[in-house]
Amino acid sequence: MKLRYPLILLAAMAGLPHPAAVAQAFKPARPVELVVHTGPGGGSDVLARALAIMAEREKLLPVRMVVVNKPGGNSAVAAAYLAEKRGDPNTIGLFTGVWLQTPLVSTEAKVTLRDLTPIARLVLEPAVIAVKADAPYKTLADFIDAAKKRPGALKQSGSSSTSRDNVVRQLLQKSTGARWVFISFPGGGERIAALIGGHVDIMVIEPEEAGEHIRAGNMRVLAQVSEHRLPAFPDVPTLREAGFDVPVVPQVRGMVAPPGIPAANVAYWEDFCRRLTRTASWKKYIADNQFEDGFQGAADLAKFYDEFTIRMRDILKDAGVKTVR
Amino acid sequence: MDIVTGLLHGFAVALAPANLLWCFVGVFLGTVVGVLPGLGPPATIAMLLPLTFSMSPAGAIIMLAGIYYGAKYGGSTTSILLNVPGESASVVTCIDGYQMARKGRPGAALGIAAIASFVAGTVGVVGLMLVAPPLARFALSFSSPEYFALMSLGLALVVLLAGRSMLKALVAALAGLWIATVGTDPFSTTSRFTFGQLELLSGIDFIVVAIGVFALGEVLANMEAREDAPLLEVPRGLRNLLPTWQDLKDCRFAFINGSVVGFLVGTLPGGGSTIASFLSYGLEKAVSRRRDQFGTGVIEGVAAPEGANNSETGGALVPLLTLGIPGSGTTAILLAALVLWGFKPGPLFIPEHPDLFWGLVASMYIGNVMLLVLNLPLVPLFAQVLRLPVYVLYPLILGVSMVGVYSASGSLFDLGLLLAFGLLGYAMRKLDYPAAPLILGLALGAGMERALRQSLMMSQGSLSILVSRPISAAMLSLALLILSIPLFGKFNAWRLRALES
Repeated sequence: MKLRYPLILLAAMAGLPHPAAVAQAFKPARPVELVVHTGPGGGSDVLARALAIMAEREKLLPVRMVVVNKPGGNSAVAAAYLAEKRGDPNTIGLFTGVWLQTPLVSTEAKVTLRDLTPIARLVLEPAVIAVKADAPYKTLADFIDAAKKRPGALKQSGSSSTSRDNVVRQLLQKSTGARWVFISFPGGGERIAALIGGHVDIMVIEPEEAGEHIRAGNMRVLAQVSEHRLPAFPDVPTLREAGFDVPVVPQVRGMVAPPGIPAANVAYWEDFCRRLTRTASWKKYIADNQFEDGFQGAADLAKFYDEFTIRMRDILKDAGVKTVR
Repeated sequence: MDIVTGLLHGFAVALAPANLLWCFVGVFLGTVVGVLPGLGPPATIAMLLPLTFSMSPAGAIIMLAGIYYGAKYGGSTTSILLNVPGESASVVTCIDGYQMARKGRPGAALGIAAIASFVAGTVGVVGLMLVAPPLARFALSFSSPEYFALMSLGLALVVLLAGRSMLKALVAALAGLWIATVGTDPFSTTSRFTFGQLELLSGIDFIVVAIGVFALGEVLANMEAREDAPLLEVPRGLRNLLPTWQDLKDCRFAFINGSVVGFLVGTLPGGGSTIASFLSYGLEKAVSRRRDQFGTGVIEGVAAPEGANNSETGGALVPLLTLGIPGSGTTAILLAALVLWGFKPGPLFIPEHPDLFWGLVASMYIGNVMLLVLNLPLVPLFAQVLRLPVYVLYPLILGVSMVGVYSASGSLFDLGLLLAFGLLGYAMRKLDYPAAPLILGLALGAGMERALRQSLMMSQGSLSILVSRPISAAMLSLALLILSIPLFGKFNAWRLRALES
């Protein structure tokens, strides 16, 4: 009889499912590499470094977390790097929506998020639709009407053609029949400069970025790309409230691991993310950046990938972007 | 708060012992990062970001800014001594700086780089202090057509004045523009010239090509000289190593040019220090009386770009601090840092946080003095590198180049590229093709393509947008005028001959 208990533990270690026991079975023994797809200073890099500090401050990890930059190929290089680390217990990565979009449009980007191990979704980034403060459009409908009157004459500044900025435009164009031009600017600063310099008419912008320009009277917000109103913009209608029934495209960030790691490791990292999102530091970080807590565990995340990919493929096809997968 | 009280208040902040220490730490780290090729200010600042959480915001921004402008001082060192550009903004310094070193004047080149950096860096801070808000408004009137015109101007300045054969310079520039198209098309996300290589999706890094063509090409070409190359002459004594009065006099215009061009280009959100350094070099050459000697070790050819890349930092802080708009990689991470410390950079940042703004401005005056004091005594020390026999020096250059490239990207593929571009540099030297237009074409190519395509999207395909906007039209006309300078010379010579006969 005395032998029974250890046997169960052994069975659990061998990979048989018993969640509570499994979560205890793995612990990183040496510094963990946190892989990001941007260079130092990019969005994911800054989040990763903040995350590493929080993990240390809140004592969430027994080891240190080191940020590893694998920029290049619009996330394809970082994804390929993680795929090569098959089975490595000390490597994890931070993904964004770009990791889902790049393999859709680029033959070279062979590793999709489906080829890696999902851990958890962490952040949802809402957005707002803004115009210059002295623009004649008071509501999104005003802008849409103006765009209908002069097809192709109004302009939107944004990121790449596969970015959320353009997806929102495509969805609005499709549902209203209006048409305006999308102009890609690689740097976030250039996009804003183009709007408040009066060179373009509208942009989709992160609320945190827009905040100060609104307060200084340079910018006005017409609508928010969010399911419900953000605390900072209580008087601005969401897209649906403004009368545009288009799906809200989330900008996501989350954690992935290399393929082929044991279930115990997945459970450990999922639990790490859950504990992280409950800390005060994390809540403050989310509030400061006006993100939304988008926590979702590994099982739901895999489902999210598929929905997102299917929807994205359709939108890109509508936009005339060639998809390869 | 007016400028005098603001500045006095700023010095009170910056001269606090702790902040003075952080300023020194920043400029010292900046110098080190600048001297080492590869690791640049954005990477350094990103890595130090976690440390700043326990610092006061004033101390932290003073230190991070110190790294930013300090790196511009050190960047010229390896350009001049080894022909290995330390930062992309110091690529153009290789052209005349390395030739000066080969002619036994490494000290003068290093010294003038430090002095020009100090003069222009200080002018940049004065500009930041005096004209930041109005200038930021003016910078906003620049958009894609203006950027296209500005870059055309830069290309015209350097390409058509480079080398003996205009045809070869043009071919090299076109090759540079072509290399810039490798990677993912920014508008359609189609991959171009990637040959199925994952590593090529994000394009070829400018610094890899610059180090390959300049440094490796030089080493390969020199290895051909089988006979024992004599050691380079390095004069002894501090006095003989530093620039002479005549040097300083020769650089009078270069100081002004570097300061003004660097600052103005810096204020543009789509500018950047690489463009600033090339523009001021081209301008220097265009107005110089000894234009034909550029590329053989002319001291103004070092002073102008080194000045420009320093005053650019003052300029780049203008849109960041007055509008919350970052124009470059480094200012983008400074912006991220400010947000992480709980500030909201934007149009109201300066009036609401005078401590931080004026403290930073004052610290930059102090930091520039520190950098001059730090860098001038290093000149004789660094100059000794050239006393090394070639069998030590060349492996050293190879090592520094490879470590530089690998530390920037961490990719073995880039080391392969480095080798390939080294061979290209060697071939170009043998066939007498100038390297500068290739590098400039590459540096400007992606930006020019983007600006042109953005302009055409704005105008629904009509090229008239480039000439119907006054600033763009003026710059394009200036570019045309520069292109015709050699024609004027020819016309004049022909006229004189006709008069004589």
